Amino acid sequence: MTERRRIEVSALARVEGEGALHLVVEGGQVVDLRLEIYEPPRFFEALTRGRRADELPDLMARICGICPVAYQMSAVHAIEAAWGVPVPPAVRALRRLYYAGEWIESHVLHMMFLAAPDLLGLDDAMGVARLHRAEVERALGLRKLGNRILILLGGRSVNPVGVRIGGFHRLPAPAELRALGDELRRARGEAEALLRWFVALPVPSRPQDVELVALRHPAEYPMNEGRLVSSGGLDVAGDAWESAFEEHQVQHSTALHARRREGGTPYLVGPLARVALNSERLSPAARAAYRGLAERFARPDPAASVFARGIEVLQAIDEALAVIDGYEPPPAAALEVAAVPRAAAGAATTEAPRGILHVALTTDADGLVERLRIVPPTSQNQAQIEADLRALAPNVLALPEDQARRTCEAAIRDYDPCISCATHFLTVSIERREPGPCAST
Amino acid sequence: MRVHVIGVGSRHGDDAAGLAVAAALAARPLPPGLAVRTCERPLPDLLDALEGADAVVIVDAARSGAAPGRVQRLARADLSRSRAASSHGLGVAQVLDLAAALGRAPARVEILAVEIAGAEGPEPSAPVRAALGAAADAALAIAREMLGSG
Repeated sequence: MTERRRIEVSALARVEGEGALHLVVEGGQVVDLRLEIYEPPRFFEALTRGRRADELPDLMARICGICPVAYQMSAVHAIEAAWGVPVPPAVRALRRLYYAGEWIESHVLHMMFLAAPDLLGLDDAMGVARLHRAEVERALGLRKLGNRILILLGGRSVNPVGVRIGGFHRLPAPAELRALGDELRRARGEAEALLRWFVALPVPSRPQDVELVALRHPAEYPMNEGRLVSSGGLDVAGDAWESAFEEHQVQHSTALHARRREGGTPYLVGPLARVALNSERLSPAARAAYRGLAERFARPDPAASVFARGIEVLQAIDEALAVIDGYEPPPAAALEVAAVPRAAAGAATTEAPRGILHVALTTDADGLVERLRIVPPTSQNQAQIEADLRALAPNVLALPEDQARRTCEAAIRDYDPCISCATHFLTVSIERREPGPCAST
Repeated sequence: MRVHVIGVGSRHGDDAAGLAVAAALAARPLPPGLAVRTCERPLPDLLDALEGADAVVIVDAARSGAAPGRVQRLARADLSRSRAASSHGLGVAQVLDLAAALGRAPARVEILAVEIAGAEGPEPSAPVRAALGAAADAALAIAREMLGSG
């Protein structure tokens, strides 16, 4: 006879999505661990077939409510690569500003709504707000600033529509950028204070051996461009994702998993990987913050990703300021591309808040999409999340069930999974199978 | 005394009811002290829309099992808090909780719920379209009552 103990959580709090963590422990050993994602697929790749490629920026913005810019950017770069559309330097700079807005908003929300309640042992951000009102207000103020950047260039923050092939539909007025610059200068101190507050919290440590993967650019902190590099020595062109990685289906997830082609191993994408692989490209303020936390980044530690996000908020503010201070309006908001469409293939990888987002597509002679492939960061991190939990599970079994469950949930939240992009999350069940006192066999 | 009527919704079928009521109200002459706002995402937008208001009327789509188009006046306590709060989406009740925890919730909150049939298609359904005028009247009446009592 076997004694079974099961922990059920009706839904993993504070992470968007539908899914479950299933953990079976027998005699203190993890015998089964599955991050079950059963979010119904939305068929974005299929529904774009036969549509005009220049519709993609608007369609892609609908994939995610929190990182629409990333989907727009990877898609627009892939089309521009396919059709050979030149992008003026000022448009390129404005795209960095646009992306910086998304990073600020997304990272700050993760820090305050996902990480802070876990670090303080509270149920949600409302609990944090009751105890730490000033810090929550600070985070909300930064979020609002990020959101303002999105609205300025995207036209609106929900399903933004400002991006088009070759540029934007509308250029910001110099006065709008100046006003934004004033706010960003004030925000830098707020971002530093927010990071300091997190550094003083009891952030756990969970170092592990995992290959870190991010873009790297010769001169800039990566956002829209760069080579795909890794802590394991990978170094290929940014559009060559498929040469180094592959997607594959697992039975327990509606989101495709990804692995290294060579060795089939998991890897980690996101702010932790970006910061570690690009620390020398950080702005002076962000680099100073990174150096102050150097020992937390000595080995890949998903628990320290909250610090990486705080550093990248600072970086994004400095990026945005650099764009605004050096802004020279391009001759036109966008290149006229009516004559450009042709049969071609293109691919691009950009850095979404949660990590590299790869898009590959082919178009026919009329500029219609023939094939579209989207590889979101959360689906790439799935295998690593499972590896992390497999290593963590034996350590939590001695804890009371509620605490064991919370620890596993918090570990998953460290990855800021956006399961609606990859698909969704979560019910957690931990099953303990132990030989009972009346074991007869 | 400042009152905000806040239309909450998305641009999907009947879920646009709150936004449509706000648009209808904004086209009318309004009493001093009353402002109309809209909100497509409760976490950022509703928190911002509450700013500066002493009292608010929130107009939102609802599914309670009533006939589509029915307009119901609800108290804040009637809203379910069952949805888990994530960084990706907070519901109206959770944003009101957050505002309260931050000490910036309006003194009075009333909710006007427009019963809907579904959130498909670009336009609200006929029963919901037919209810928009009455919902705008009701929101204005509550707002006037708030302005009068302030």
